[in-house]
Amino acid sequence: MKTWEEQRPSEDFVQRLTPEGTVVGDPPIRDAEQLLAFYRTMVLTRAFEQRMFSMQRRGEISIISRSYGEEAVSLATSAALEAGDWVFPTYRQAPAFVYWGTPLERLITGLMGIEPETVDEHLPIPEGEEPEVNFTPGYIPLGANVTNAVGSAMADTFCDRDVVTMSYIGDGSTSQGDFHDALNFAGVFDAPAVIICQNNQWAISVPAHRQTASETFAQKADAYGIPHERVDGNDVFAVYEKTKEAVDRARNGGGPTFIECVTYRMVEHNTADEESVYRDEREAAYWAERDPLDRLETYLRNEGVLDDETIANIEAEVETEIDAAVENAREVPDSDPMRMFDNHLHGDSWNERRQREELRAELNGENPFLDRDDGGSR
Amino acid sequence: MSTEQTAGESTEELNIVRAVTQTLRQEMTRDDSVRLLGYDLGPIGGVYRATEGLVEEFGEDRVIDTPLSENGILGTAVGMAMRGERVVAEIQFMGFFYPAFGQFMYTLAKMYERTGGGIEVPVTIRMPYGGGIKSAEYHSESTETFLVHTPGVRVVCPSTPTETKGLLAASIRHPDPVVFLEPKKIYRGEPEPVPTGEFTRPLDEARIVREGEDVTVLTYGAMVRHAETAADRVDADVEIVDLRTLSPLDVETILASVKKTGRCAILHEARRTLGLGAELSALVNEHAIEYLEAPIKRATGFDVHFPSNQIEDAYVPGPDRATNVIEAVANYEF
Repeated sequence: MKTWEEQRPSEDFVQRLTPEGTVVGDPPIRDAEQLLAFYRTMVLTRAFEQRMFSMQRRGEISIISRSYGEEAVSLATSAALEAGDWVFPTYRQAPAFVYWGTPLERLITGLMGIEPETVDEHLPIPEGEEPEVNFTPGYIPLGANVTNAVGSAMADTFCDRDVVTMSYIGDGSTSQGDFHDALNFAGVFDAPAVIICQNNQWAISVPAHRQTASETFAQKADAYGIPHERVDGNDVFAVYEKTKEAVDRARNGGGPTFIECVTYRMVEHNTADEESVYRDEREAAYWAERDPLDRLETYLRNEGVLDDETIANIEAEVETEIDAAVENAREVPDSDPMRMFDNHLHGDSWNERRQREELRAELNGENPFLDRDDGGSR
Repeated sequence: MSTEQTAGESTEELNIVRAVTQTLRQEMTRDDSVRLLGYDLGPIGGVYRATEGLVEEFGEDRVIDTPLSENGILGTAVGMAMRGERVVAEIQFMGFFYPAFGQFMYTLAKMYERTGGGIEVPVTIRMPYGGGIKSAEYHSESTETFLVHTPGVRVVCPSTPTETKGLLAASIRHPDPVVFLEPKKIYRGEPEPVPTGEFTRPLDEARIVREGEDVTVLTYGAMVRHAETAADRVDADVEIVDLRTLSPLDVETILASVKKTGRCAILHEARRTLGLGAELSALVNEHAIEYLEAPIKRATGFDVHFPSNQIEDAYVPGPDRATNVIEAVANYEF
């Protein structure tokens, strides 16, 4: 069987928390509560995505792209944001949503393919309980989000607001024209945007070294006059530290930053994919030794913040939380097919009214092609 | 839908491109969130001078000269609009729009729907369209079908300076994305007295340019004047319907006119196959065939790439092609 030959990315990157769980220099976060929140978010996200994987196999959800192995990136980058900031994600940022308090049931109903209007109606978020950071829905077309994110950041510049916009793309997205448009505009307009490249080595079946001949993804920002960083993406401290610097700089008028987080997609691209077909299985062992969750756990144990009992409690808690969320999600009724016409344009039109009637008739078992309102012959 | 506002008494003589400038100035004065985005629209005022003087008046944060990237313009316009700005993006020529098609389809046209109505994207894309000015390759496109086929976005096309002002103001004020097609062939000709004050024209409503009993002409943009010339020439009482909004169509007005006259000619510059005329013809067929006393006929551009300067007049429909199609439909007997 033909697979891609194994290639490991250079480890010439910023690292604060080694694979062994020891700290290089001073840790950027000392607060035990925040570190526990990090740990809990990673445990919760991993368990949540595992549950979604099971639900996909049972046919309850159509497809899921898990963040297994690369949780530290979206977690520690988004943790550097503040209330009122904006996030334009793609589809492997569940830890960021979870960290900022997006109800799990809303993530599940999204995966179940329920129309957004139905979700809003049946799982409303009470006023004042919305996540403090603004999330746009995830984007499937790669690169589209980063251009919009730069526009969002430009709006903050022009309106003189101290808001930061963060967007997430993968290594594959850097091959899209949108990526270049976005970095170019961000540089020209000094937009307060922090662009995170979640370099997980694989864009479905195509490896990172087939996306570019550049030595690193980070260096691409040089072409646009944008400061850049390359960090160990499985290291919450390095990711947080460099992102926090970038976020602070953006908020203070210092413009955009591009950050390459070197990580690895431990599992399939999505549940329709089979990674063993195209990649060398030796990779998995190499990256398993660098797992971001294990690394943080070891550190926290060494610091006396975590022990077996606390871990067991957290694991039990998250299972209960996921159970409840799944139950809530399952209670949302199926979307009314008539919903497909909602929210395309404000107001309505002759064609929209007519097509709604056609579908309604069809759903009622009637023949919508029989003339009904045309007045017959003259 | 916008409500039409009445204008004051005073008028000034404006052509279409000056009507655009005046409308942009009034809307920017009226609403601080209105920003212009595009390239060449700063000091030079756009290749057609549509934004002349505006950067001096409103500054570089409101009249934003961008890098040369249609997809970048549209993608950042969407991001700005998502954050509460009202963006008027200029695409220099319709033939330059294709690189922006990704953002157009993925985000501009779909954001409101994909967020369940949660995020509005009030972007107006101004885009000169059409031929007849002996321009360079890719400068004369009339490919509005690509836009009309896309849900979630309005397509508006004025035919006179007054219509330009009213429809552009309504488009800018509207919470939905609008593509505003400016007929560049008549940018500078045919000025008329345009109300000086602010006013809007309703979107989604066609305009009866002239009433008639014998034959309906469905048309829009730069072709409206050819329909008028033809109507004066033919021996028939012609009703001209200026569609004004190409998507969504004002089907009620279209059907009412055809049911009244029993005959329908279509006049547009775009290619014929799957051009807007195909949809108009299908609508009349489905909903008014028993009223027809003649087949519907379309005078259009041909199914070719827009030809070179020397022969472009043979492509673009003019008064003669308009006259021929109206005569053929008006005189047809089963």
